[in-house]
Amino acid sequence: MRTLVIIPAYNEQDALPPTVQELRSHQPDLDVVVISDGSTDRTATVARSLGVRVLELPFNLGIGGALRTGFLFAVRNGYDAAVQFDADGQHDPAHVKTLLDALDGGADMVIGSRFAETSARYDVGGTRRGAMRVLQIIVRLLSGRRYSDTSSGFRGFNHDVLMFFSRNYPSEYMESVESLILATFEGFRVVEVPVDMRPRAAGEASSRRLKLAYHYLRLLLVLGSSASRRRQVRAGVA
Amino acid sequence: MTGRAHLLLVLLTLGVVGFVLHLVRSGRLRAKYAMLWTTVGAGLVVLAAFPALLDRTALEVGVLYPPAAFLMAAVAFLLVLSVHFSWELSRLEERTRTLAEEVALLRDELAQQGGGGSPSTSTTAAADSPDVGAGHEGHESHENGSSAEPDSRVTGP
Repeated sequence: MRTLVIIPAYNEQDALPPTVQELRSHQPDLDVVVISDGSTDRTATVARSLGVRVLELPFNLGIGGALRTGFLFAVRNGYDAAVQFDADGQHDPAHVKTLLDALDGGADMVIGSRFAETSARYDVGGTRRGAMRVLQIIVRLLSGRRYSDTSSGFRGFNHDVLMFFSRNYPSEYMESVESLILATFEGFRVVEVPVDMRPRAAGEASSRRLKLAYHYLRLLLVLGSSASRRRQVRAGVA
Repeated sequence: MTGRAHLLLVLLTLGVVGFVLHLVRSGRLRAKYAMLWTTVGAGLVVLAAFPALLDRTALEVGVLYPPAAFLMAAVAFLLVLSVHFSWELSRLEERTRTLAEEVALLRDELAQQGGGGSPSTSTTAAADSPDVGAGHEGHESHENGSSAEPDSRVTGP
């Protein structure tokens, strides 16, 4: 089985080398592609010097756009599965295998959850925790499924999900929640596995409240509309 | 309306129509928008020239204050138009995104084939592809090499 590790990176020239090296030491046989999302620093050059494939977007598309590029790359190059991995060292490469095992076990999409029962405690701020809980409830209402970590960016996908996301991956902020709903609605088997995550090495956790509030409203609208679309499809079939 | 204000209005509308025609003539407006704005312009010129038309139509419809009828129609029209523009913008943005993704993938394919960044500066690319356009035609050949680690990455774009 050919598996690809997709690392979206926006101005991560410092974080990238240790991340890639650690990943290599754990998973030497996996191909790695870094998507430099319109980076203005030396991210792409640094990544090339590490010997990984680099896709350079001509301007910043946001995490969703970078991921969709990665999915498209995986599909066109015939990969059977892919793992989404953060450039900033937040994810533990030892858990890549955990995700791949879940895919082998028949899952279409697997999410590394910080909050699953057996995960080590992961600290987030109060506002953020509240926000995450609200999201969790919304997702449960819409999908009828319970996920403990809807915004995790540590995920694995099989070929069918890659095909689907290479066309449909959402592009706006908080795309992780939206994509989770999309995959569930599409009928894919989504599984959560516990992983440990480290605190971010650098960079700001985006928690500006106004921005967050705006994106909450936007997300509600998007989720509501995809839920109604889902009903239309059902009605059309019946 | 006094005669002078009337004249000013007619001239202004004519000016707008003239500007639209100028845009159309210089090819800076897509035909569908050209049609739209010339029609709107023509309508405005007629209304400016014969305000009695508006008065009569408004009273006919049952609006006692003709300018209100005009404003209402204008607001409704502009609303529909801006919704249409939002739709078109969303579509364009999505297409731009898709193109950006394709550009990233194509740049990678070129780099895989030539071992260099831009085809114009790369001398190694000339060895297996006679011209720049060969990057598009050589679609079948790159698939094999795509899984292998890149051999030499000397230049960035």
